[in-house]
Amino acid sequence: MGSHSLNPLAIILIASLATAFFFIYGLIGWNMLLSFTKSMGLITSYELAGLAQYVKAGSDAVFHVSLKNNLMLITLFIPGSIGLGLLLAVLLDIAGGKGEALYRTIYLLPFSLSFVITASMWAWMYNYSYGVINTLLTALLGRAFQINWLGDPNVALYSVILALIWQFSGYTSLVFLAGIKSVPESQINAAKIDGASTLQLYTKIIIPQLKPWILSAFVVLMVFALKAFDFIYVLTNGGPGVSTYVLALLMFRRAFFETDFPYGAALATILFTMVISVVVPYLLLSSRREEK
Amino acid sequence: MNKASLVVYTALTILAFMYFLPFWSVLTTALKSDIEVRMTIPIVPPSNPTTTPLLKAFELMKQGLVNSLLFTSFATIFSSLIGSVNGFMLSKVKFKHSDTVFLALSVGIFIPYHAVVIPLITVTSKAGIYNSILGMTIVHTTYGIPICTLFFKNFFDELPESILNAARIDGAGDFTIYKRIALPLSWPAFIITGVFQFTSIWNDFLFGVVLTKGSNQPASVVLANLLGTTAAEWNVQMAGTFIYALPVVAVYLLLGKYLIRGYLAGAIKG
Repeated sequence: MGSHSLNPLAIILIASLATAFFFIYGLIGWNMLLSFTKSMGLITSYELAGLAQYVKAGSDAVFHVSLKNNLMLITLFIPGSIGLGLLLAVLLDIAGGKGEALYRTIYLLPFSLSFVITASMWAWMYNYSYGVINTLLTALLGRAFQINWLGDPNVALYSVILALIWQFSGYTSLVFLAGIKSVPESQINAAKIDGASTLQLYTKIIIPQLKPWILSAFVVLMVFALKAFDFIYVLTNGGPGVSTYVLALLMFRRAFFETDFPYGAALATILFTMVISVVVPYLLLSSRREEK
Repeated sequence: MNKASLVVYTALTILAFMYFLPFWSVLTTALKSDIEVRMTIPIVPPSNPTTTPLLKAFELMKQGLVNSLLFTSFATIFSSLIGSVNGFMLSKVKFKHSDTVFLALSVGIFIPYHAVVIPLITVTSKAGIYNSILGMTIVHTTYGIPICTLFFKNFFDELPESILNAARIDGAGDFTIYKRIALPLSWPAFIITGVFQFTSIWNDFLFGVVLTKGSNQPASVVLANLLGTTAAEWNVQMAGTFIYALPVVAVYLLLGKYLIRGYLAGAIKG
C-alpha cells in the first residue's frame, strides 16, 4: 500500500476485521476464561478455580454418553455420507446432461434447508403410529415389522444418523462430481481405448484421483459430526433418556436450561478444541498447497 | 436407450423417490384435516385438500417470519458489502502478512458458535442489542464476514491484474479502482455470497434461540417451539415446516447454480 493507504477501503477492512476478530477470538478466549473461574451459574466471578469444570466433565456420565455418540457420528455418518455421495456422483456422471442436472437438484435439496426443517420432516417420517416409514413397513411386511425409530434408546441414534446421511449425501455427491469433472478428458479416452469397462474406468482411473475432494468433504463432515446440534435438539432433544445426547447439545442444556455457565463454557471449550484440531491442519495444508 | 443407461436411470429414479419422500409427506400432511391425518397414510394425497392447517400455522409464525426476513435481509446485504471490500483488499491490494490475516479469518468459517454464545449474551446485553432485530443483524453480519471475505477473495484472485493495471498507470487509487472496475465486475460474487448468506442466516437456529425471546424470535425458533408443544397436530406442524422452508426452496430452485458455487467454495453449514 502506498501513500493512499488510508482510503475508505482500508478503514472498512481494519474496522470489520477488528470486529470479526473480537467476536471470534475475543469471545472464544472469554469463554475459555469463564471455564476456569469460580463463577456460579449466572453470577460471574473472575476468581480462578483451575480445572474444576473439566474435572466435573470427567465425572459427568452424560458427558461420556455424548462423546461416545459424537464418535458414533464420526464412524457411521461420515463413511455413510461419503459412500452414498460417491455412488450418487458416479451415477449422475454416467447419466450426464439434463438427467444429471435434474437428479442433482433433487439430491441436493435437503442440504440447502435448515436443520429445524429436516428434523421436523424426519420426526414425522419416523412417527411410530402415523409416520411414512412404519406405515410402509406395515403395508409391505406386517405390523410386527414396525420399528420404534425415535422411542427406542437402542435405535434412536441410528435413526438420527440415517436422516443426516440423507441430508448430507447430496452435498458430498456435489463435491465428488466436481472432482470427477476435473479428471482430464485425455486420461478417460486413453482408458477407453485400452478397453476399460465403465466400472474399471471409475474404480481404477477416476476415483483414485478424487483424494483431495474426499479429504475436503471429510473435513466438512468431521466438523459437522463434532458440532451437530440443531437437528438433534429438534428431532430427539437428546432422548429417549440421554441416548442421543451429543457434546453440543449437552453444552446447550447445561448452560441454558440449568444456567450452569462455567460448566457450559468448559464443554464449549472442549468442543472448540476438537473442531480446531481438525480445521487448522487442513487450512494450513490447503494454503501451503496453493502456494506451490 | 441401452441396457447400462437403463440401469443407471432406474437407480437414479428410485433414489430420487427416496430423497423426495420426506418432502412429499410434508406437503400431503399440510393439506389434510385433523381426521384425515389419522385415517390415511401420509404418502396418499388428501382427498379433501384444506388450507386450514396452512392458515393456522401462518398465524402462529407470522411474527417470526417477519423477524427472520428483516435481520436476514439486512445482514445479507451488510456482510456481502463488507466481504466485497475485504476480498478486494486481501486479493488485489495486499499488505504485509495479509495472507496470515486471511488464514486467521478463515478459521472463523469453521468455529462452532457454541464456543462464543455465552459471552455473546453478555456483549449484546451490555451493548443494549440483546433480544432485538438490530442485535441479530449485527451478530449475523459479523459472523458472516469470514465466509463473505472468502467468496470475494476467491473471485478477485481470478480477476486478471491487467484489468486493474491500466487504471493504475492512469494514476487511479485503490478506492477508484474498486468503485469503477472491481465493484461492477463482481456482480456474480454478489449473487453467490447473497444467496449463500440469505439461506444460512434464514436457516440459523442457535443465535436465535440464545439471543432472542418472545416476539423477537426468528421463524426457526418459533417453528421448533411449535413442534415441541402441539404434539398431536401434525398437519399444522407440517404446514409450519412448509411455510418456513418456502423462501429457501424458492432461492434454491431459482438461483441454485449460484448456491452450488457457494457450497463448493469450501463453504460449510453452521
